[in-house]
Amino acid sequence: MVLIKSRQKRVCTVLIAAFMLLACFPRATAQSAPESDLIEQASAARMQNDIPRAIELYSRAVEVNPKWPDGWWFLGSLQYGTGAYIPARDALSHYIGMIPSAGPAIALRGLCEFETGQYTEALGDIQHGISLGAANQPRNEQILRYHEALLETRLGNYASALKTYTFFAKNGVTNPELLVAIGLAGLRMPLLPKDVSTEQQPLVSAAGDAAYRFLAGDEQSATQAFQKLFRVYPSAPNAHFLYGYLLFATDPDAALAEFLQELKLAPSNADASVMAAWALLLRNRAPEALPHAQNAASEAPKLPSAQLVLGKSLMETGDLNGALEHLQQALQLEPDNLETHLALAKAYSKSGRKEEARRERAVSLQLTKGNATAN
Amino acid sequence: MIAFLAASVLAASVLAARVGAAAQTAHENIASSCAGCHAAQARTQPETPMGRALQWPDLDPLLKSHPDLTFRKGAYAYTVETRQNQTVYSVTDGTRTISLPIHWSFGKGAQTWVLEKDGELYESMVSYYPSIDALEITTGDADLTPQNLDEAVGRKLRKTEPKDCFGCHSTNGVLNGALTLKTVEPGVTCEHCHTGATSHMIAAQGGEFDTPPPDLKKLSSEDISNFCGQCHRTWETVVRSSWRGEVDVRFQPFRLANSKCFDGTDPRISCIACHDPHQDLVTSESSYDGKCLACHASKNASAPAAGHSDAKACTVASTNCVSCHMPKVKLPNGLVTFHDHEIRIVKPGAPYPD
Repeated sequence: MVLIKSRQKRVCTVLIAAFMLLACFPRATAQSAPESDLIEQASAARMQNDIPRAIELYSRAVEVNPKWPDGWWFLGSLQYGTGAYIPARDALSHYIGMIPSAGPAIALRGLCEFETGQYTEALGDIQHGISLGAANQPRNEQILRYHEALLETRLGNYASALKTYTFFAKNGVTNPELLVAIGLAGLRMPLLPKDVSTEQQPLVSAAGDAAYRFLAGDEQSATQAFQKLFRVYPSAPNAHFLYGYLLFATDPDAALAEFLQELKLAPSNADASVMAAWALLLRNRAPEALPHAQNAASEAPKLPSAQLVLGKSLMETGDLNGALEHLQQALQLEPDNLETHLALAKAYSKSGRKEEARRERAVSLQLTKGNATAN
Repeated sequence: MIAFLAASVLAASVLAARVGAAAQTAHENIASSCAGCHAAQARTQPETPMGRALQWPDLDPLLKSHPDLTFRKGAYAYTVETRQNQTVYSVTDGTRTISLPIHWSFGKGAQTWVLEKDGELYESMVSYYPSIDALEITTGDADLTPQNLDEAVGRKLRKTEPKDCFGCHSTNGVLNGALTLKTVEPGVTCEHCHTGATSHMIAAQGGEFDTPPPDLKKLSSEDISNFCGQCHRTWETVVRSSWRGEVDVRFQPFRLANSKCFDGTDPRISCIACHDPHQDLVTSESSYDGKCLACHASKNASAPAAGHSDAKACTVASTNCVSCHMPKVKLPNGLVTFHDHEIRIVKPGAPYPD
């Protein structure tokens, strides 16, 4: 946690530095600035690193003129630096209200929300901030991506988290806390590293280490790390699932074996059932996929992917009505899932519902339009 | 895993020539055995582009008729030389040369070679194109800029690619989900599509005729598209991969499904409604007219075809339909042309629909 704190302070410094430059623009000062005396005093206090005085003066300045954006920015960023996350968040919200495209400010608000436990809002702001260029500097990128992945894990978006952590593995960035964080995503534990108990720490760290090696592209070393993990923790929930998940893109058969192993240990693991069914469907083994898909949908009926694999399994085994029913459920649970639209297009086409098939194809093409590549 | 793959590839390369002859014989045996009952199909299919989707170099007519193929791009010069049933692919930068024996020729018309080097498989950087009767950069590799001679050999295949290549271009190249080069039979043979054909043949030889493979003709048009799309790319695969632009014209199941007239349950619009995979590709445009008119009544007819009251008659012509409604589109490298299977009314100057 010390590491995160020190990193947060660094990113704060960098983000603030980025905005100091913006704040110097005539646009900013000319726009609804309060009395120049107050500005000068606040600025001087800030430059002298008299943070409490600077916060007080900026607070007075924005009280006098609430439409002064730079005052809100300095106030929010300084408050963040002192750990006053709630007022910092609110000050930054005033700033963002006036300058909606301020990527660093939005990202910094996300970091405030991370600290105040508003995880959904934090993730949204950090991702929005990144999209607006807040991660353009390497140091900022590390901090923001790290928090993004922590939040994705905390919110249960494990696949997204692992994808985000790939950034660190590919760039050779590592430290013990990062491995714990990756382990949490890999073992599908919706926790932050600080919440991991002492007893859990070695398992989570070992899983993170194995996954890190895989994400870094060192499959041989990763294989050894996973084998050791399985030996030391033979019944660790989701360990085989993690290895299977990582193997899936390059070796779906080996991945399937891991998913089936996970199901031996935990027959009610809906995610493992989904992935086993999916791997079997890709191998045109729909009759074998169907029981896994049924198990997934029974264990987790609100899991979109469970409804999706059940719909696909039913379609490929000839039950088109059943397929459409479950694919519609998957669509309701997750309207923008490409795989659901692809499956619906096929199911409608096989049912002779030509226009609905065309509609689903159009949606699928639309969903992938931005990713277009030439082969 | 990588070490295992490398070992199996090396072993395969050593065995390739010997096993190749055996497998070729096996191919002929199966075809000739199937021919006992399915004479027409067995006679023509082995010479189709699918039947020759993969060839042993020593039995490859193209290499025999073109024993000295050469090409140069930038600092690298390529040769494909055939001498006494041995074909060698070489690339040189003028000071150093890498020469590799060709074990596998992919394609009957346009041809690419899969090469083995240091236990890894590569797609040859250059391919033969009938349209220019010469070598050129392999389709899709134009953007590669080799930094050294090793890279100039070709594109190293990703881990799963060899399985895909051999899975489509050969028979029995992938067994139980794993690439098994020692069992590769060149080209698409009976068993490739008609799973169970071999056991059916054996049973039939013993007088048992009730074990036929699944009848592919009974599949719906949607299912046929997905079946053929396993190699020609399904609609889903193309969308998932986000392939766009003229390059996707070669993925016929994708293009066909984009057609307004595509109906997954209408047998008149399936791949096999127009193409007999046991026959060479019919290139006469007028020969497909009857397929179109099965739905779209001729303007001279008094009523539209049965079952498709909304299928309009063409007001311009009643012959050579595909020349307008399935225009020829060149791949971006200009070397290979396909009829666009997105059947449509083509408006002058309209961009490629995507």
